[in-house]
Amino acid sequence: MKKLALAGILAVGLTGCSSDDPQVLNLYNWSEYMPQEVLDRFTEETGIQVVYTTYDSNEAMYARLKLLDDSAAYDLAVPSTYYVSKMRQEDLLMPIDRSKIEGFDNLDPELVNLDIDPDNQYSVPYLWGTTGLAVDTADVDGEVTAWADLWDERFEGRVMLTNDMREVFHVALRVLGYSGNTTDPDEIEQAYEKLTELMPSVRTFNSDAPRMPYLEGETDVGMIWNGEAVMGREGLPTLEYVYPAEGIIAWLDSFVIPKSAKNPEAAHQFISFVLQPEIAALISEDIGYATPNLAARDLLSESVANDRASYPNATDMINAEFQEDIGDEAMQVYARYWEMLKSGR
Amino acid sequence: MRSVMQQPFRTAVLVLVWGWLLFLVLTPNLLVIGASVMTRDPGTFISLPLNLDAYRQLFNPLYLDVFLHSLYMAAMTTLICLLIGYPFAWALSKVPRQRQMLLIFLLIVPFWTNSLVRTYALKLILATNGLLNNALMSVGLIDQPMQMLYTEGAVIIGLVYLLLPFMILPLYAVFDDLREDLLRASHDLGAGRLATFVHIIVPMTLPGVLAGVMLVLLPAMGLFFVPDILGGSRNLLVGNVIKNQFLDARNWPFGAAASIMLTLAMAFLMFAHRLSKRRIGEEGV
Repeated sequence: MKKLALAGILAVGLTGCSSDDPQVLNLYNWSEYMPQEVLDRFTEETGIQVVYTTYDSNEAMYARLKLLDDSAAYDLAVPSTYYVSKMRQEDLLMPIDRSKIEGFDNLDPELVNLDIDPDNQYSVPYLWGTTGLAVDTADVDGEVTAWADLWDERFEGRVMLTNDMREVFHVALRVLGYSGNTTDPDEIEQAYEKLTELMPSVRTFNSDAPRMPYLEGETDVGMIWNGEAVMGREGLPTLEYVYPAEGIIAWLDSFVIPKSAKNPEAAHQFISFVLQPEIAALISEDIGYATPNLAARDLLSESVANDRASYPNATDMINAEFQEDIGDEAMQVYARYWEMLKSGR
Repeated sequence: MRSVMQQPFRTAVLVLVWGWLLFLVLTPNLLVIGASVMTRDPGTFISLPLNLDAYRQLFNPLYLDVFLHSLYMAAMTTLICLLIGYPFAWALSKVPRQRQMLLIFLLIVPFWTNSLVRTYALKLILATNGLLNNALMSVGLIDQPMQMLYTEGAVIIGLVYLLLPFMILPLYAVFDDLREDLLRASHDLGAGRLATFVHIIVPMTLPGVLAGVMLVLLPAMGLFFVPDILGGSRNLLVGNVIKNQFLDARNWPFGAAASIMLTLAMAFLMFAHRLSKRRIGEEGV
C-alpha cells in the first residue's frame, strides 16, 4: 500500500512538472512498423517528443495496457482487427473525437465502419496487410502455390512459421478447409494434428522480423507478412511473396487511444498527422504494408502501387479471411494446443 | 564518539536492507504465491475463489514433458560447464597470483554486456551464413554449411556460454583453498595421481562443485530468451512456459504456480547442498 502511495506521489510530481516541459507522446506500436522519419517530422512540426515503444504480439500489448491501467504510460497503440473489438468491449479505450481528426475522409470506405468498431468511434485504420507464403526461389525448385505445399517432404527443416498462435492455426485450418476463426474444439484439434505433421519441417518461429530467417539463409519457405517480404526483397531479391490458394490471412491495424492515456490531445494530433496523404504514402513506401488512405494511394510511386505484395489485386484476395475475436474460451483451447505443438519435438 | 557517528549510519543501512527485502523480495513472492492460488479470469487476470487448480495443472503430462526436457537441457548445460569449469578453475588456481586476478577479471568482463546482446552475438556466429560456418568452410573442413542455429545444441551452447562463469568462480574458490601439503602428504603416503585425485581432490572440491551446479542448473531452466533466440522458439524451457502463461495465454495462476515450482526446486537443491556440506565437514574433521 505504501509503495502504491509512493508511486502516486511520484506520478503526481512528474505530471506536475511536465506542464512547462516539452510535451510527450507515448506511442506503443509493432516493431518495425513506423519509419523514424515520420516521428522526426511530427516532432519538428508540433514540438511534441515521441517516445516509441514496441511489441511483437497483440497479446503482449494487451497485457501491458491492462496492467498499466492506473499508472498508464501509453497514449496511442496499434492493435490488430480483433483486438480492437476486444479492447473496446472491455472498456479499455477512449472514444476518438472526430472533430479533432483531419483527413478521416481519405480512408477507404471498405475499411471503415467495420463490425469490429461501428462508426470508428474508438479506432482509426493505420495500415492493413496480409500473411502469406514466402519462397526463396534461389533455393526452392518447382512451384509453391498453396499452404498445403509446406507439408511437402522436400522442405524438411527449411520452413519458417510466424510466432503467432492464431496465424499458425489459421494456416492449418484453411488447409483442412475450415475457417481460420473457428471456435469448434474438434476442428482446432484436427488443425493441431495437422500441424504436428509439419513440425519436423519447421526450423524456427519468428515474429520479431519474419524476413530475417530467410535473409540469414536458415529457411527457404514458410509464412511471412507482406511488408516484411517487401523489405526482405531488398536484401534477398529472390524472395517471392505468394498468395496461397487456400486464401491469405488478412488483418487491419488501427490506432486506438487507451483509456488511461496521459496526452490524448497529442494522440489525436498524431493520428491526423499520419492521415495526411503525403505521410501515409511515405509510410507505405518505406515499410511495404498497404495504406487504407485512398488519397495516399494516388501519391505512391508506380512501382509500389503496382507491387502485388503490398497491394493485392482482386483475385489475390479470393478466399482471404480477416482474423476475428474468437472469445476467451476458444483462445484457451488454441493456447493449450499451441504449447503442446511447441513442446513436442 | 565513534558509536554516536555509527548509530545513524547503522540505522540507515538496516532500514535500507530490511526495506529492500520487504518490498523487493518478500512482497513480490507473496504476490506470486497469492496469484497461484487464485482463479484465472479473462478480464482481470486473477479473481477469487481460491483454489489449487493451477498446481493440479502442473501435473498435466504436457508440462511434465516440458519440465523434463527443460531439466535435460539444464543438466547437459551443467555437465558441460562442469567438464570445462573444473579443469579451468584448477588451472586458474595454479597461475601466479598477479595473473590470476587478471584472468578472473577477464572472466567477469562479459557480464558488463547485457546477456541478451551477447545471445544475439552468438546467433551471428552460429548462423548458416555465420562466422563459424564461413571459417570452417574457408579452411576446407566442411563444404556445406552446418545447421547449428535453431537446434537443441544451439540452446545448450548459449546456456553454457552465459552460465560458465557461475561454475568457474565457486570452483576456483575451493581450488584456491586446496592445501598443497595435503597433496604432498598423499603422495608421500604412496598414493598415485589418480588415487590422490579421487580420494583427496574430489572430496575437497565437492562443495565448490555443488555450489557451481546450483548456480548453473536452476538459472539454466529459466533463461527463456535463449530458446527464443537460439532455439527458434522451440526447445522450450520452464522459463518460456512461465512467460507464455503470463503474456500470451494470460493464465496467471498457472504461470505463478510454475514459477513457485522452480523456486521450490531451487530450495530443495540448496537444502541438499547444506546437508552434503555438513557431511563433508564431518568427514574432513
